[in-house]
Amino acid sequence: MKNLHKALILSSAILAGNSQAEITLNGFASIVGGVTTSSDDALYGYDENIDFSQGSLFAIQASADLGDSLTATVQLLARGKNDWDPDFEWAYIAYDASDSLRILAGRQRVPFYMYSDFLDVSYAYPWITPPEGVYSVAFDTFDGLGAIYSTSMGSFDANFHMIYGGNNSEITVAGEDVKPDFIDSMGLVATVTREWLTLRAGYLQTEMNIPLQAIQPLVQGWQAAGFEDIANNINVVKDTGSFLEFGFQVDYDNFLVIGEYTELNLDGTTLPNQDSFYVLAGYRFDNMLVHVTYGEDDDARGRITNGVPVVEPLLPLLVPTNALTDAQKNKANYIKLGLRWDFHDSAALKFEYTSYSDDLNSNNDAGLFRTALVAVF
Amino acid sequence: MKIHLTTGAFGVLLFCSVCSADVAVIVNPENTAVLSDSDISRLFLGKAVAINLKLGSNTRDEFETKALGKTSSQIKAYWSKQVFSGKGKPPPELVSDKDILSMVAADNNIIAYVDAASVDDTVKVVKIF
Repeated sequence: MKNLHKALILSSAILAGNSQAEITLNGFASIVGGVTTSSDDALYGYDENIDFSQGSLFAIQASADLGDSLTATVQLLARGKNDWDPDFEWAYIAYDASDSLRILAGRQRVPFYMYSDFLDVSYAYPWITPPEGVYSVAFDTFDGLGAIYSTSMGSFDANFHMIYGGNNSEITVAGEDVKPDFIDSMGLVATVTREWLTLRAGYLQTEMNIPLQAIQPLVQGWQAAGFEDIANNINVVKDTGSFLEFGFQVDYDNFLVIGEYTELNLDGTTLPNQDSFYVLAGYRFDNMLVHVTYGEDDDARGRITNGVPVVEPLLPLLVPTNALTDAQKNKANYIKLGLRWDFHDSAALKFEYTSYSDDLNSNNDAGLFRTALVAVF
Repeated sequence: MKIHLTTGAFGVLLFCSVCSADVAVIVNPENTAVLSDSDISRLFLGKAVAINLKLGSNTRDEFETKALGKTSSQIKAYWSKQVFSGKGKPPPELVSDKDILSMVAADNNIIAYVDAASVDDTVKVVKIF
């Protein structure tokens, strides 16, 4: 089996021709329309006016086989919500060190989630986008090195993905656009597949430096008052953020069950720790997939002012600091009902309704209807 | 420099309710490999180790349904995941059974499939689905 496998790879290399720098173009697209079901609702960037740009995107990928196991790939992705300005989501050179080991150098996806690697390729999964509550880390690419090792253990296929690098692309944190510096980002993800079952576990961490302007008055106030610890706790400088994920997928006959649980730990900051999960159950008949998803998000940041004497001169610092951490609390759940119709070899039509409930403030409850035409080419 | 545009069979919707011809998985007669169904599945879902028939071909639909246990949309979704995440690319495609037979006859390391009715003695059948 192993030798046949190797020989087949050789043959296919011959089939592909010996010409250097053969370029393959691929692409994918989602055209998404969305509207909330009642006039004062807002959810995931949608409101009561029908919108076609928020979730829409187009991407094109060019890959050049350089020979000698080297491939260069760029993926340009333009989102409607960013005025269709294209961004390089991937830009890397891959080296196939062996049949089982591939090294990627350059811009890549951070493999946070089960669907991270093809986050925007809606054709590749049931929903229009993966559940927003779980898929919520503020950035999804990094620049650095990745290593993907694939192997077989009996009837199990195992895949290990390691990354090391950093990222300083602009992100939005607590409503503020900011240019962070994530350094020493590293992680390991293991995926095991056997016929209809896939199991995944991942751990990633990074040093975070996020120069948030809004919190600077508090940082300086606590420093001036002599509480350096609290100032450090508010400032996001040299703090370690960590991320843990467990996922599974059962794809058995016409039944599909998918679940993911994630824990984001941002201790040492006033940003919330976040625990989230979702479970999807789906049934395929003919070229239709109907699915239902339930998910919960639980965010919180404990107060960091314990031990500070509650005295008059410190109140102008204590009150807003406690308000800042208290405001991070969020507890929500959602149900999604979806239908995917594979009406074409390379395209699918999707319909999805999301009912979102905020457990702490029912004014944020919302219903959202979306439909999407998605394609790969 | 050659440029390949891989496009789907736009505008062509194949509703295939009556066709259910057998599919023969073939190798070169000199190839002595013994393959289980799961080996076959893993070869065709691996990194460009096999040869496919062109998308939209009836035999390919049959093969994907019977041997791989997936619909062609599921296979397309599977390869989308591989292609857009830098993990791999799908097997090369040939247009006809005839092209595949001559390729397999000429190279004892290739695995492919054709309509069972097209098989001749230049190839060895390892499995009929």
